[in-house]
Amino acid sequence: MTTEAPPRRKRATAESMAAEQRSISVSEFFTKNRHLLGFDNPRKALLTTVKEAVDNSLDACEEAGIVPTLWVAIEAAGKNRFRVAVQDNGPGIVKKQIPLIFGKLLYGSKFHRLRMSRGQQGIGISAAGMYGQLTTGKPVRIVSKIGKNKPAHYFEIQINTKTNHPEILNGKGEGEDIPAGDKGIEYCNKYGITWVAEIPPLEEGGKPEMLVSGTRVTIEMEAGYKRGKGSVDEYLEQTAIANPHVTIYYSDPDGNLKTYVRSTTTLPPEAKEIKPHPYGVELGRLLAMIKDDKGPSTISQFLTNNFSRVSSAVARRICEAAKISTRASTKKIGRNDVDKLFEAIQNTKISPPETNCIAPISEELLLKGLYQVVPGEFYAAATRPPAVYRGNPFQIEVALAYGGAMATKKVGKEELNQLLSESDARNIKKFLITTFDGMGPDGADKIVKASGLSPRMAPAKMKSAEREALLEAMQGVAIGEGQTMQILRYANRVPLQFKMGDCAITKTVMSTNWRSYGLSQSRGSLPSGPVTIMVHMASVWVPFTSESKEAIASYDEIEKELRLALQAVGRKLGMFLRRRITIRQENERRSIFLRYLGEVASAVNEINGTNRDSLYDNLLKVAQRKTKEADTKLDTRGKRIEDDSELYGDNVIIVEPQSILDEVQVKSNGAATANGGASKKGKVQKELF
Amino acid sequence: MAKKKIIKKVIKKVRRSSAASSSAKTNGSASMAVRDKKTMQAIKAMADNVVEIAARSRTPHVDIPSRSLSNVRFNRSRKIIEMGGNKNRRELFNLSQAKSYMQTLLVGSGCKRLIEQGKTTSIRGLYYMLKHRIAGTSENTFEEQSECDPIIEDIEVMLDALREELHLYAQNKGNLFGDLTLIDDGTELNCSRVGRNGYSIPSIVEPHIVQFVKHNAKFILHVEKDTVFTRFVEDQFWKNHQCLITHGGGQPPRGVRRMLNRLHNELGLPIYCLLDNDPWGYYIYSVIKQGSINLAFESQRMAVPAAKYLGLRSIDLERCQLSDSVIIKLNDSDKKRARQIAEYPWFENKANWQKEIKRMLDNDFKLEVESLISKDISYVTEEYVPQRLRDKDFLD
Repeated sequence: MTTEAPPRRKRATAESMAAEQRSISVSEFFTKNRHLLGFDNPRKALLTTVKEAVDNSLDACEEAGIVPTLWVAIEAAGKNRFRVAVQDNGPGIVKKQIPLIFGKLLYGSKFHRLRMSRGQQGIGISAAGMYGQLTTGKPVRIVSKIGKNKPAHYFEIQINTKTNHPEILNGKGEGEDIPAGDKGIEYCNKYGITWVAEIPPLEEGGKPEMLVSGTRVTIEMEAGYKRGKGSVDEYLEQTAIANPHVTIYYSDPDGNLKTYVRSTTTLPPEAKEIKPHPYGVELGRLLAMIKDDKGPSTISQFLTNNFSRVSSAVARRICEAAKISTRASTKKIGRNDVDKLFEAIQNTKISPPETNCIAPISEELLLKGLYQVVPGEFYAAATRPPAVYRGNPFQIEVALAYGGAMATKKVGKEELNQLLSESDARNIKKFLITTFDGMGPDGADKIVKASGLSPRMAPAKMKSAEREALLEAMQGVAIGEGQTMQILRYANRVPLQFKMGDCAITKTVMSTNWRSYGLSQSRGSLPSGPVTIMVHMASVWVPFTSESKEAIASYDEIEKELRLALQAVGRKLGMFLRRRITIRQENERRSIFLRYLGEVASAVNEINGTNRDSLYDNLLKVAQRKTKEADTKLDTRGKRIEDDSELYGDNVIIVEPQSILDEVQVKSNGAATANGGASKKGKVQKELF
Repeated sequence: MAKKKIIKKVIKKVRRSSAASSSAKTNGSASMAVRDKKTMQAIKAMADNVVEIAARSRTPHVDIPSRSLSNVRFNRSRKIIEMGGNKNRRELFNLSQAKSYMQTLLVGSGCKRLIEQGKTTSIRGLYYMLKHRIAGTSENTFEEQSECDPIIEDIEVMLDALREELHLYAQNKGNLFGDLTLIDDGTELNCSRVGRNGYSIPSIVEPHIVQFVKHNAKFILHVEKDTVFTRFVEDQFWKNHQCLITHGGGQPPRGVRRMLNRLHNELGLPIYCLLDNDPWGYYIYSVIKQGSINLAFESQRMAVPAAKYLGLRSIDLERCQLSDSVIIKLNDSDKKRARQIAEYPWFENKANWQKEIKRMLDNDFKLEVESLISKDISYVTEEYVPQRLRDKDFLD
């Protein structure tokens, strides 16, 4: 046997490799890694696009002090192709900036400042445009109007992925003004663009309001549209919950119109911009800041000017700890000194950053939002005081709704048919789990069993009789216990719909012990029961796990605040559930006494001939008094509580069952109440027997 | 001679009371025996109390003397168990007591009806009398007899009325064989000539029902169950040794205990017990000797402090050279019970009993009287018992 020499291959040399090496543009990078931005699949691409556009619109409106009204339209434009348009009544964008905002990745106003806003990096909307361009070759189309007497301006923009620069396609690279009047309508028809010129009146017979300014962005893209979990519909609904000051007009690809009307015209308090806190600065950043320092200044000046919460006294302490003169110039300071300075900052006690830069939704509005969208019997909310992670202030708010009908019971026949035809689930069970929030495998099994259908039947192939059987089972089966807690996660008022498992919120909900609050929960999983919980993290900088902004990273400080907030609502829920159990037991007690009173009266009558009925009445009176006594409420420490409202504290809504009391009992700190008006303190007074 | 006089006196008394009871029967409920009047008053007082408390809007309740070990006292001088003063309150408006409160009054009304009509019934009969569906529910006043029996005992202690005074009796359980002539409800009979099972001891053996006429016996041998009883009858033990033989079918019912008490006190007959060598046998002896914890209020009428324990003893496996095959291993509840018994105040200070119980625990087995049959079918009647009697080998 002879061994053949391996074939010779030309090896790369340093020179040949160098020829291949070149810089990568951000655009190119994201073209290849679109999942990082939330464009992993056609369905999610559609959602991300809507989301980015809506977030930008809301930020712009709020910053300009305009109560936001949004139009979201999704139209089918061929197979697997959709045209997404989002318009707002915001301040509009000046001509010069439009191409940069929509046609250049990493361009924006929000990245360099520390201020609470929905968008952060300036990638979102331009990435959506790039995605559309990539899948359909169509440019992003923008209409923007900045003032009452100014014309609307129309742009068609493409992004050059090599250079990450916008290219304007119309009007010789300048864009075009849309003429006023009929000509404008003609122009719009010609280019296939829409511009909503007036805000429809909210009340019937009201006058429409002319749109003074606003922006409309239209992107055509390859996408998939589906209702249910993780859909555009869900996103808009959740947005409406967390943003009660927003009105959204939404038309879906099937032409259905849905309007979310604002419940308040008060804008959330304006978030302030803050300087970074020294604790949140990393060494590299500190180096860069010192290098960038304009005009030679002393270290003391540098620290007090560039950071929040650093007074000259604090600066002096830092310098002392670092053994640097407070008067040393930033231009002359050496690398070693910066190291020391960095260390000294960490070891010096500096008061936490200002927290008034955060605008929480507020417990009252949280309850309002949740009450309107999630039906239930009990609502509670809690807001934590602001806290700080890595020098960034943040605040946690939690609201909880208990009870009420399952998502499966809210579905009508038409809607179910639509959902079934859209679903790509393998079988009915999978369909139920993926379509309805809070539906666990146990609940799905129950429904399938009750419907009498084969569990392996494909949803798309169901006949109409079978669909009806399924609908009936969905309406009929009580799955309260088999249901898992539904979590609505928000970061700076933006709903987070994906990567639930990675999110600090979900992790904290799971690790919180809900059993002590009356819910059942197996170790390390979500508690079960008809509970919807809404968690909002507001911060100047929300630490997302990825650029697609779907999950909050787990910092110890954040998890701690989350836990405390969850426990606060949990305690209230526990009290409510315990009280319900007490009431139930009390009823049982009464019925037991009642049962035996007659026998006792008869026996006594037989022995001594006493009038049976008068004795019975006397005994009844004692029984009433006895059980009434047991009705008095005790608080967690066993003290007697005279008034219901003291029991739960502020910001709780209790919806009493209809049969007992046909009104909603609300107590929220002296503010407007959730049943839309008068604060009625309903008292539950059931007749004993 | 003195004995005969006593008996005559009793007979006289009996004739008078039987005359009274027959007149009660003829006159119906209008005129009741004095004893019945007293019982009726007690029952009425209980009912009146309910009316009064309800009128004041308070919680109706009854106070029942506690029938537990914690509420019994061993009277060292009289050597019987006596009931203490602890009472348990049973309230209508207490979830766990509501039903038994209702049942207590129901039993009271049932007894009232019996007394009024001059009839008696068994405790099972009363249970059926009172059992009915509670109006508007699917629940019965009593689901089982075991719910009713303790309530009857409660009523007894609470009203300080004996069972027969409530016109109730328990099921007959226990027999007597031997040369004893007695009158039972007017019928004279001799207990050695009423068939092989002898005289079935009724639940109520009070002097107004049962009177002793004459006897030819020197002692009473009480055995645990009817197998051994039959052995002694068949082997003519009663004749050979001039004695009466009784058994109580395990734990002797009240009738049997009252009978033993009367035979001992009125006829002066010593009592020897032949019981299984296990904690239950020990306890039967204890009940005969100083009364039961449950019915401590009746000890005075029932206990025979002079009763002696003849066997079986924990040394009997060796002493009688029995085969190993007859032993039964002690289980956990046996051991626990044995230790409890050893701690009872009436066993506590008796060295020979402590030794006996310890020996059994060390043996880690128990012996039934029947095991002696393994030696010979009549070993127990011809050798075991005669020898113990001869040697006066008893535990006290």
